[in-house]
Amino acid sequence: MKQLVNAFLAVMIAAFALMYLGAWMNKSEGYSGGNTLTIYNWGDYIDPELLTQFQKETGITVIYQTFDSNEAMLTKIEQGGTNFDLVVPSDYAIAKMKEENLLLQLDHSKLPNLSHIDPRFMSLSFDEGNRYSVPYFWGTVGIIYNPELTHGLTFKSWNDLWDSRLKNNILLLDGAREVMGMALNSLHYSLNDTSEEHLQGALKKLNALSPNVKAIVGDEIKMLLANEEAAVGLVWSGDAAEIMDENDKLDYVVPEEGSNVWADNLVIPRSAANVEGAYKFINFMLRPEVAAQNAEYVGYSTPNKDALALLPEDISGDERFYPPKAITDKLEVYDNLGKRMLAHYNELFLKFKMNND
Amino acid sequence: MENRNRWSNLYLALVFIVLYAPIFYLMYYSFNSGGTMHEFEGFTLDYYREVVQDTRLIIIVINTLVIALLSSAIATIIAVIGALAIQHVRSRRAKNTLLSLNNVLIVSPDVIIGASFLILFTIAGVKLGFSSVLLSHIAFSVPIAVLMILPHLEEMSPTLTDAARDLGATRRDVLTKVILPVIRPGIFSGFFMALTYSLDDFAVTFFVTGNGYSTLSVEIYSRARQGVSLSINALSTLIFLFTVLLVVGYYFLTAKKAKKPSAERTAEAGVPR
Repeated sequence: MKQLVNAFLAVMIAAFALMYLGAWMNKSEGYSGGNTLTIYNWGDYIDPELLTQFQKETGITVIYQTFDSNEAMLTKIEQGGTNFDLVVPSDYAIAKMKEENLLLQLDHSKLPNLSHIDPRFMSLSFDEGNRYSVPYFWGTVGIIYNPELTHGLTFKSWNDLWDSRLKNNILLLDGAREVMGMALNSLHYSLNDTSEEHLQGALKKLNALSPNVKAIVGDEIKMLLANEEAAVGLVWSGDAAEIMDENDKLDYVVPEEGSNVWADNLVIPRSAANVEGAYKFINFMLRPEVAAQNAEYVGYSTPNKDALALLPEDISGDERFYPPKAITDKLEVYDNLGKRMLAHYNELFLKFKMNND
Repeated sequence: MENRNRWSNLYLALVFIVLYAPIFYLMYYSFNSGGTMHEFEGFTLDYYREVVQDTRLIIIVINTLVIALLSSAIATIIAVIGALAIQHVRSRRAKNTLLSLNNVLIVSPDVIIGASFLILFTIAGVKLGFSSVLLSHIAFSVPIAVLMILPHLEEMSPTLTDAARDLGATRRDVLTKVILPVIRPGIFSGFFMALTYSLDDFAVTFFVTGNGYSTLSVEIYSRARQGVSLSINALSTLIFLFTVLLVVGYYFLTAKKAKKPSAERTAEAGVPR
């Protein structure tokens, strides 16, 4: 008995000592004071130096938490019980959050720096008039390829992917909208097409691609492509930038038929505790020099036109990541197709995946 | 006979190599100055420095340890009471039902348990953070600890308690001087089982963390999606070494006790299986 009691006491003492240590560290870092701002963002999606700079300027301590998918983030916010002050969802997730009344309407008079944003990225279909969201980063879906392994193909068109020389050499990212969108685009349809005939046509076209597809993978696609496990990949431009950072032989292209343009945006959820702080932070991030520094660190494309002017020429002049207006006009945002149509997209994608094994 | 022994040793060695190779692979690259896991360029301690300087990461490690220690200690106490209660049930049918209910909680998927906790906590108005994580960890540890303790109770001869009572022991004496010492190995293994479960649980914890409070498994997972930085390797190495130290320490503690004849029974049990 004595041994049990002693062991229990030892465990409790260790636990409370650690707890005290944790509380002390929290306090010395300012995490437990009242003046905090809780940000919920994708992993590694901000330059940490900017958080320190913001803290120095305003005295607000930033607590930074990360998520790995829009769906995970939505679950947390929908359920409540948390009070994140600032969240960074993607376009379709914002449409959904709007529908469910989870977002706070923005007061544009508190965001004077909004004027730096390129009008091309304002008022996109998921949030007319930017009543709830402020653009953070944007990008495209396109083809990354290794010129040494693609027999001279340069992928001007989506249809180049169907070339028989690419047998078992293409990696696709595991997203129903992305893959179905690519098939629809290759048939010159909109990637938000809902006509059953067009969708079946897209599935047929995808099935014809099967011999060329090596695998349909998640985030590991970056590592696989950088290690030259396959010649071609369908990826987001942000991932492409990272892959090309690791292996500079590769090249990225957005095919001429058009593709998807996506945008991640800053929003303030209804449950936010420090709304003033959130406004301050958004306005801070919109400052051209801050946005430029952040874009350089993260490697995605900034929608901030004045920040673009501050970036080195080899970044801002890179048409792969900052395509000219002629191309961006062809790009489409994913519309919220509604639950049923989305399920149908998923089902078609699943059929293709099963067929592919 | 000799020959057979050699083969089985070889087999055992192979199994251990397969189990430990990934860990050593990961540790090896934590010293790579190249910054990636494909080519080793040179020796560096940069990533260890990064870990030590990342106060947020250290706070998260501390959170993880606090939750593990507190939740497994509390869960073990609840489990002892629970096991005693199950043991006391006379009807065979009721006992089996209770045991099955206990087992259902162990085999049901973590994701479902996590999601239901999330719903429960938000309905009850518990703010997500320390308390929600602690409560859920206690909850999923209890059935495991019960399962570790119950066999020791079943093994205990009923004559032991009868004899104690005949000799004039009060109910309290019977509990503290007879029952608890006999089932002590079970209590310890229940505690250690709960500890390991709590340390590496991801699925349940993922749902119930929030408001800036996070544990290591959740943090590593969200960082890993962006490509694992080698500082995670460094941290994993440190934690692995820490675990090895604990196990070695535990081994020496029990080995020392095994020499004393009175503690013979406790020595062979105790280690979590």
